Amino acid sequence: MTDAPLPFPSGDEGHDPFADEIGERLRASYRSLPAAPAEQGERVARAVLATTMHAPSRRVGGLRPRWWWGAAAAALLVAVVARPWRPDLSRREADSAFAAGRNALLPSGSTSEEVGGTVRFEFALPNGARKVSLVGDFNGWDERATPMVQQHGNGSWSARIPLAPGRHDYAFVVDGTRWVVDALAPQAPDAGYGPTNTVVVDFEALP
Amino acid sequence: MTDAELVVRTRAGEPDAFGALVSRYYDAAWRFAYHMLGERADAEDVVQDTFLRAYLAIGRYDERDQFRGWLFRILTNQCRNFLTSRGRRSKRFVQDDLAIETASSPPAGVAPGVEDVALVRALSQLDPLQREALLLKYAEGLEYTEMTAMTGVGESALKMRVKRGSERLRALLAKAPDRDA
Repeated sequence: MTDAPLPFPSGDEGHDPFADEIGERLRASYRSLPAAPAEQGERVARAVLATTMHAPSRRVGGLRPRWWWGAAAAALLVAVVARPWRPDLSRREADSAFAAGRNALLPSGSTSEEVGGTVRFEFALPNGARKVSLVGDFNGWDERATPMVQQHGNGSWSARIPLAPGRHDYAFVVDGTRWVVDALAPQAPDAGYGPTNTVVVDFEALP
Repeated sequence: MTDAELVVRTRAGEPDAFGALVSRYYDAAWRFAYHMLGERADAEDVVQDTFLRAYLAIGRYDERDQFRGWLFRILTNQCRNFLTSRGRRSKRFVQDDLAIETASSPPAGVAPGVEDVALVRALSQLDPLQREALLLKYAEGLEYTEMTAMTGVGESALKMRVKRGSERLRALLAKAPDRDA
């Protein structure tokens, strides 16, 4: 995919000169913004690769656990998300903080709708956890309501719950205290409690 | 070489392949993040975080998806989280050395290579979710179905954010001080 100017998006906004004007101004702003220096991208690539020695694995389950994964993942989350030490306008170089480990893996979650009106939630945690629970708008965000079951002791947890069709926001709670979301899944707007993932349940879409 | 091929080579441990993906998408990601966050340094931080997370999660990338869409899902999440950590307050626009003030003129009045500071400033005063929707819809050229898949938000809600965001942005730009005034 190139960064060539995009065609005007199709849809009913195309008939609205008011939206046309705003849309064109936004696209013009993209086009007029001076390009980021090439060395900036190269620096980012070097910084990311400096934290890893080996290629990332395709599957969490296919990796042999090492003690420093947990430390690396925790350091990554602190460095990238919390950054309690970060001054408001300067942290360009602080990203080296995630170099605390190599081959760190991110917590990952997934959902799958099942016949019968239930949804299966899965959560993979690179490092060990004593317990994981699922919280969401479907259980009042109560970390005791929906404990997840560990699969084969490999850091993979799951829970199956009945859900009404529609949108549901959820998160995972590790060891009763740490709320974790999947950085790659859609996230809901923060209602003041921190980020949460979101899933739209539509059983009619099942094959 | 396609994105999918670069992903395969990245998984196989070829660092140059990931470097090529970063080179291919860094500028696009940075433009989006800059318009979302309103500050260059913040945009650079968030984009770097995004590529880090993309690399760590490259094993979860589904080849049936467009890499750019997958990357932008991470990027939008990271922008949201950054704004949350910043307290979701309206951030004072900080003009850096490279920014050149422009009048609130139509796009034709913005010379190539000159930043539309008035627009970025106005964007920074929008609700972040409206700002995100406007950028995904117009600047990134996504369809509502793609935006729904990326954000998990329903189509009607997204349309409303775009509509209200457009109205608010237009009002803010109309009030923007003219450079020549």
